[in-house]
Amino acid sequence: MDDASMVGLMGRVTGTIGPGLVGEVIVRVRGGAEHFLAYPASPKDRIESGTVVMVVEYLPPRTVYVSAAYDS
Amino acid sequence: MPMIVGVVAGAAVLALIFIVVIFKLMWRVAEPNEALIISGSKHRTEGLEEGMGFRIVTGRGTLVLPGVQAVRKLSLDLNETELSVDCVTHQGIPLKVRGVVIFKVGDDFVSIANAGRRFLDQQKLMSERVHNVFAGHLRSIVGGLTVEDMIRDREKLTGQTRAACGTEMEKLGLIVDSLQIHEIEDPTGYIKNLAMPHAAAVQRDARIAQAEANRRATEAEQQAAARMSEATRDSEILQAGYQAERDNASAKARQAGPLADAAARQEVVVQETRVAELEAHRREQQLQADVRKPADAKAYEKRTLAEAERDVRISAAQAKAKETELAAAAEATRVTTAAGAEAEATKARGAAAATATRATGEAEAAAQQAKGLAIAESARAKGLAEAEAIKARAAALAENQEAVVAQQLAENWPEIVRAGAGAFGNVEHMVLLNGADGMSDMFAKALTMGGTGLGLARQLLSSMGQDQNGQAGKDGSAVNGFATPSAAPPSQKVPMDGES
Repeated sequence: MDDASMVGLMGRVTGTIGPGLVGEVIVRVRGGAEHFLAYPASPKDRIESGTVVMVVEYLPPRTVYVSAAYDS
Repeated sequence: MPMIVGVVAGAAVLALIFIVVIFKLMWRVAEPNEALIISGSKHRTEGLEEGMGFRIVTGRGTLVLPGVQAVRKLSLDLNETELSVDCVTHQGIPLKVRGVVIFKVGDDFVSIANAGRRFLDQQKLMSERVHNVFAGHLRSIVGGLTVEDMIRDREKLTGQTRAACGTEMEKLGLIVDSLQIHEIEDPTGYIKNLAMPHAAAVQRDARIAQAEANRRATEAEQQAAARMSEATRDSEILQAGYQAERDNASAKARQAGPLADAAARQEVVVQETRVAELEAHRREQQLQADVRKPADAKAYEKRTLAEAERDVRISAAQAKAKETELAAAAEATRVTTAAGAEAEATKARGAAAATATRATGEAEAAAQQAKGLAIAESARAKGLAEAEAIKARAAALAENQEAVVAQQLAENWPEIVRAGAGAFGNVEHMVLLNGADGMSDMFAKALTMGGTGLGLARQLLSSMGQDQNGQAGKDGSAVNGFATPSAAPPSQKVPMDGES
């Protein structure tokens, strides 16, 4: 399990991600689903709960930077 | 030889047993909820960079050299910590928050390594540590929130919790699965007061809704009751109608027997009556035949005989009447003839007599006429003289009426006295008082009465006249001065011969 395995995974936002907020995403990883603290990859983005996101950066142990998977 | 084989076999078994025991001592398996942390030798690092000095095994077995390597287990189970924190909200309202934090060691090797370094010997104390960390953070979190946010905005609470504790717990290699606020004790009654308007509104709405529901239910019940009453009424009306029909039918059925009896009896009576009628008819016929016909025949016979007899008698009477009539007619004719002859004879005689009488009468009449004319002439002369005398007397009377009356009284005195005495003639005894004077008085009065009442005098004269009418004769009329009817010529009626 290295860093590269996390990047590129898809996840779902369970706590709103935005500037000034600490969001939460749940990502399927290691045979289960774990939640990670999430920050927006672009600092101005605000990603509401329920949005499908993709992990673009993984900061061990439990922080990820995400961006919206689909342009809405 | 077999002994050698036994020894060899025993040794092999022993060796096998030894190997198994050794293997059991060296081989360690990590259970799903734990991580093995193995330290003590140079080895391949799995997922960890150099310098860590231990390796982490999860979910599988690994060989461990007993006495060379140390194996420790780190539980990955869920832990929970009860929180009971006195805190003050953003508005300065003191609250006591009770909650629970559910956390576990993170599943990645970094988290396991961090947690292993921090809690490997203090796994029992992990909850206490976390409680301390969370107590401080919860105060700051609640301090940044209002009561309304805590109650209503869970997202904000969890967001704040993540912001405050997430990185903190990351350092400890823990992840927070859940932070739940069980209870917020509110010594100032803020929440209660906060809820009160809504509670009142809700209670009002509930009462309104309940009243409305009650009203509708009552309406529905009353409508249902009315419908039931209506249905009951209709049903009773129908039942009453059917009952009436049943009663009618049963009454008819009850009366059917008597009616049938009556009808049968009536039929019997009718037939009997018919029979009686026929009997009577027959009897009548019989009587007609037996009695009436013979009686009629007899009556007819008698009647015929009587009629014949009557006709005979009538014929006889008619004949007799005819005969009598004829006789009477003959007699009448005879009498008439005789009477005619008599009449003719009488007529002839009468005519002859009349002729004779007439001749005689005419002669007499001529004589009488001559005589009458002479008398009339003399009477006329006399009348004229009397008329002159009357005229003279009337003139004298007009001049002196009293004197005329007195003269007349004097002329007729003797008759007056006689008449006055006549008035006393009917008196048997007359007592006169006062002697001769009385007598003269009496007469004087009587005469005075007569003098005064000319009517009395005339009465006296008239009575006197009646007395001496016969003897007075021409004197009376001369005295009175009136020509009496007796003085008229009596020869005015001339018998006519032809009238008789």
